[in-house]
Amino acid sequence: MAGRDERIRRIEKESGIDRCVECGRCTAVCPMVEMYVNFSIAMSPRGIIKKALTGEAVAADRNLWYCTECNAGTDACPQGVSCRDLVRGLRRLVLDAGKPEEMNVCPGCGGPFLAVPVEDFVLGRLKDEPPNVKNWLKLCPACRREGYLRRNA
Amino acid sequence: MQDERLGIDDLRPRGLEKRTLMDLFMPRRRPFILFDPDRCTGCGTCEILCSTRNTGKIAPASASLRIVRDDARGRNLAVYCQHCRKPLCVEACPTRAMTRGEDGIVRIEKLFCTSCGLCTAACPEAAPLRDGRTAEIRKCDLCEGDPLCVKHCPNGALSYTKGKAFRWIKGVRWTVQLISFLLLVMVFLGTFCYFNAGSFGLSCPTGTLQNIFATGRIVLAGLASFLAIFLLTVLLGRFFCGWLCPFGFVLDLVDRIIPKKFGLPKFLKTRMAKYGILGGAAAGSAAFGFQVFCTVCPIGTLCRSYGQQGMFRGAEMAIVPLLAGLELTERRSWCRYFCPVGALLALFAKLHLLKIVIGAKKCKKFSCIQCAEVCPMGIIDGDKLREGLSPEIPMTECIGCLRCLDRCPYGAAKIRFRWQKGVPGEVTGAEVNR
Repeated sequence: MAGRDERIRRIEKESGIDRCVECGRCTAVCPMVEMYVNFSIAMSPRGIIKKALTGEAVAADRNLWYCTECNAGTDACPQGVSCRDLVRGLRRLVLDAGKPEEMNVCPGCGGPFLAVPVEDFVLGRLKDEPPNVKNWLKLCPACRREGYLRRNA
Repeated sequence: MQDERLGIDDLRPRGLEKRTLMDLFMPRRRPFILFDPDRCTGCGTCEILCSTRNTGKIAPASASLRIVRDDARGRNLAVYCQHCRKPLCVEACPTRAMTRGEDGIVRIEKLFCTSCGLCTAACPEAAPLRDGRTAEIRKCDLCEGDPLCVKHCPNGALSYTKGKAFRWIKGVRWTVQLISFLLLVMVFLGTFCYFNAGSFGLSCPTGTLQNIFATGRIVLAGLASFLAIFLLTVLLGRFFCGWLCPFGFVLDLVDRIIPKKFGLPKFLKTRMAKYGILGGAAAGSAAFGFQVFCTVCPIGTLCRSYGQQGMFRGAEMAIVPLLAGLELTERRSWCRYFCPVGALLALFAKLHLLKIVIGAKKCKKFSCIQCAEVCPMGIIDGDKLREGLSPEIPMTECIGCLRCLDRCPYGAAKIRFRWQKGVPGEVTGAEVNR
């Protein structure tokens, strides 16, 4: 699909990854290091950028779905590369093509909510909570608010 | 693998909550904002003011508080940080940027925050933590104790509270308990079992019951006090257990001091056990011809412990610390599962006139659920409240201590007559599925 390649190129251009000097600062500040036991270079922002630069099929990579889309890497980058925009753009590209199994959907509204590994991390941290709290947290914030409105107002 | 490497917990350990002696008697209160949906018109003044403080611009999307509007029903709800007692955002934050301060305000330390937004995913209240314009993470810090939104709400729908300033029920209850302990144990010697103050006589209903079985005779005086206690219990519930029982007072005191360490084995955790013990005591009395349970009754031993007969009467006094030791498992476990005096009162309380209702509509489900925690009998179903339903409170188990009423900062717990229906805020199963 030509349109898809074009979109990927545009995303890469917008996030400015061709300016990357591979200093690795984004990886140094990345909160994923704390979150995942199996954190690896392939999962790190630097790894993702490298993959995108060398023209590998980064959109199909499973490692794309570990990112929390925070802003730490972008803030730390001396070259102004936005790894978040890259990941976000690529994810949107995949989501447009259909729901991938790495993305959870909100049981309330059906929209994409959190990536599976991210949600696993959050629920792992909250493992002592009662099950109905965990089920509640599977809803997206907008649905939680709606639910609250129905129940409390 | 996780254990070998250094984690964020090593670099930035989470501060343990310090408990001082003062906390035992005056628990630290949680500051937060109360919201009254009946007063809110949805004007959005709070959002505007909050955003000006946050960003210096009028941009409701940047506010740390959001009004959710239901136009069809004309109802509004303000969504904001409740400064939970056990904040889930603090748990979920991968960089430990979230902290709950000494004053109970949950704050973000900008230095550590990476704006990853996992706090928004973990917040059960769905508080607007992410700035809608700049995608930064920011949260309500209650304007450091003087919230703008509260000050400027034109309809007074928002109010700031540090919890109830004075828990009067608590003070009254402890005083009554102390007085009744002194009276029953020290002044009227030998006594809840039966005492005579002038022409006024009263005796323990369970003792009377055993006496009837033991002697095969019904004594009129015993029957009269039996009736008196029956009527009082129907009127007020098992108030004796919560307010007057000297052993209950000892248990409440012990509970403040010793931690909960063990769980009771499953087969003991049945509330029917106390009825069994009551039946057993009656049958035993009939068989042996004396009041069987009274010899080991903790209330009786406590009452008989003081006086000429001596403080410690050997083996008998061992009952009290032995049963008080049950507090290591659950609060008032003796009263919950075993006490036959309570069992008889529970049978009377089946005809209760009053009930306690917890209105799920007023309850802030996730940030609080204090009622379930403070209930000494463990009869409030916190899970049900979280699901948005009012839990049914069995009045046969309720000891009428009113701790739930005293603690609830939202005024959701109420005393009502048994036949009253449609209590404001009560949500039953049928309603929620609409």
